[in-house]
Amino acid sequence: MSAATHLPALVIVVPLFFAYLMPLFARWREGWSTVTALGVLAFSFAGSLVMAWQVMAYGPFSYQMGNWPPPWGIELYIDYLAVFAALTMTGVGLIILVYASKDLPHELKPHLLGWYYTLYLLLMASMVGMALTNDIFNLFVFVEICAIAACGIISIKGSGECLEAAFKYLVLSALGSGCLLLAIALIYMVTGHLNFTFIAQALPEAMRLYPNNILAALALLLVGIGVKAALFPLHVWLPDAHSSAPSPSSAVLSGLVIKIYAVALLRLLYQVFPASLFEVTPVMTILLWMSTLAIVVGSMFAIVQEDIKKMLAYSSVAQIGYVFLGFALLDVSALMGGILHIFNHAMMKAMLFLAAGAFIYSTGVRKLSDLVGIGRTMPIPTIAFTIGAMAMVGIPLTNGFISKWYLVLGAIHGEQPFFAGVILLSSLLNGIYYLPIVVNAFFSEPHGAVAEPKRLPPQMQVPLAVLGFACLLFGVAPSLIMGLVSRASQALFGL
Amino acid sequence: MTIIEILLRLHQNSYYFFAIILFIIGFHTMLTHNNLIKKIIGMNIMDTAIFLFFVAIGYIRGGRAPILEPGADHLYVNPLPSALILTGIVVAVSITAYALSLIVKIYQHYGTIDAEEIMRLRGGETL
Repeated sequence: MSAATHLPALVIVVPLFFAYLMPLFARWREGWSTVTALGVLAFSFAGSLVMAWQVMAYGPFSYQMGNWPPPWGIELYIDYLAVFAALTMTGVGLIILVYASKDLPHELKPHLLGWYYTLYLLLMASMVGMALTNDIFNLFVFVEICAIAACGIISIKGSGECLEAAFKYLVLSALGSGCLLLAIALIYMVTGHLNFTFIAQALPEAMRLYPNNILAALALLLVGIGVKAALFPLHVWLPDAHSSAPSPSSAVLSGLVIKIYAVALLRLLYQVFPASLFEVTPVMTILLWMSTLAIVVGSMFAIVQEDIKKMLAYSSVAQIGYVFLGFALLDVSALMGGILHIFNHAMMKAMLFLAAGAFIYSTGVRKLSDLVGIGRTMPIPTIAFTIGAMAMVGIPLTNGFISKWYLVLGAIHGEQPFFAGVILLSSLLNGIYYLPIVVNAFFSEPHGAVAEPKRLPPQMQVPLAVLGFACLLFGVAPSLIMGLVSRASQALFGL
Repeated sequence: MTIIEILLRLHQNSYYFFAIILFIIGFHTMLTHNNLIKKIIGMNIMDTAIFLFFVAIGYIRGGRAPILEPGADHLYVNPLPSALILTGIVVAVSITAYALSLIVKIYQHYGTIDAEEIMRLRGGETL
């Protein structure tokens, strides 16, 4: 038995283990906790890359925790979707952490730095865990770790606004967890299993005997995960939480955390619940309309915002709609678009939040109307912001175009052209709120604090440059990731 | 179905029935009360309801604790839900502790634990 066979467990356990050592490292030597946290995340990212290679070369495989075979033990199932999600989470998380190493001392009290890394690593471990696990109760435990760590990295700043936003997030998140646990109880009651594969085998029979149980479980799951993923009518906690948090936290919350719940829901809907269920209930139609409303209403709210981070937060409400739209159209290309958008939006939104954080770091300005002329004094963050904005609108050569292209293709192919129209309309709405910022940033005279910004350290410039480059790279050469994405969506459709 | 039959079935499934009633009480308390502490109490009632529901799944009338004795042929209850709920209780306790510590901090900042009052101080929309 070599260490490589335990890789699926290690990418989760190593960050969990080191998370609790972070405050100790921070006390020991200044700066050690940063280096260790970076090393740990780099390990998880490398591990995910190796697993991605294994899956692409030899197909999906499973790992049994403690050598207990399922249904008794916890099983990790490493398939295309799982490695895709793990790669996105750890890769973007690593880039954000590089940025955080310079931005955090500016936003937090010095003795809290070690604790921030604790929360950050816990968050990363739980997200990778959610991506890999094949056990519904294990999923619940990771969801809870994720919920507490996500609230923690908001409230750690300690300002009144943050505390209030974190509390609102915590209460709604606890509500979602409650619904999720009750759904697990209802499923366990009629199937007697907790492992996804075994539940999927037992559900068709259970469906015939106890349809009400399954329907109630489905509704609770939809609400529970919908609250956590900020799907439209359940998004009320998101704007405050994502805009008041420290900038790296906003980037990770908006870019990654809401997406991993979407991945979990995708897995449950497609792999666990039987297809016959969707003939009985219009659950996909409900999801379709919820995501359409999310796309339109989220964009409209974003237009009227004055605060740059609040605008980005409302834009996330709209963008998570694209992901769910891709899931709900029930078409392979649309699903590919939805899954790809998880990856693309993680990069774009992380970049936009980090660029906004760079503006705030250097000038202290948060109001959009005061940020005019910033492109002349801070070129690198503004160019990154511009690339992000163009990707959000879906201009060709950026990655946002590719995912929207597949979504539109899926909508047309699935004979629901109305939703292709929704995507076009929302691109227009995105243009309305993103492009004026970009135009004003470059073609207006800077004044006030914007005219003389504080110098941005290279640790904050490099992540922006890397993310900007990646957005263009995956826009020009999407085939780098499409192989994984198309296999993931084909596997979900059982092709 | 006559009233008697309904009552009889409710009696047979009384654990589930009361668990759902508790769940709704907790849910309602959590969403409608402005007092932050009461929200947390509501959350705990809701969690307890789920725990009751979950443990009731594993209960078998007349069953004993699953401690196997050689040679004895007893009816045992299903131990798995209880084991899962131990984890659930730990999670609920940690969320409660975290929420209460947030409330302490919020009180220090705003001088109140009333959600609407805090909103008024901040000038935003209500929770």
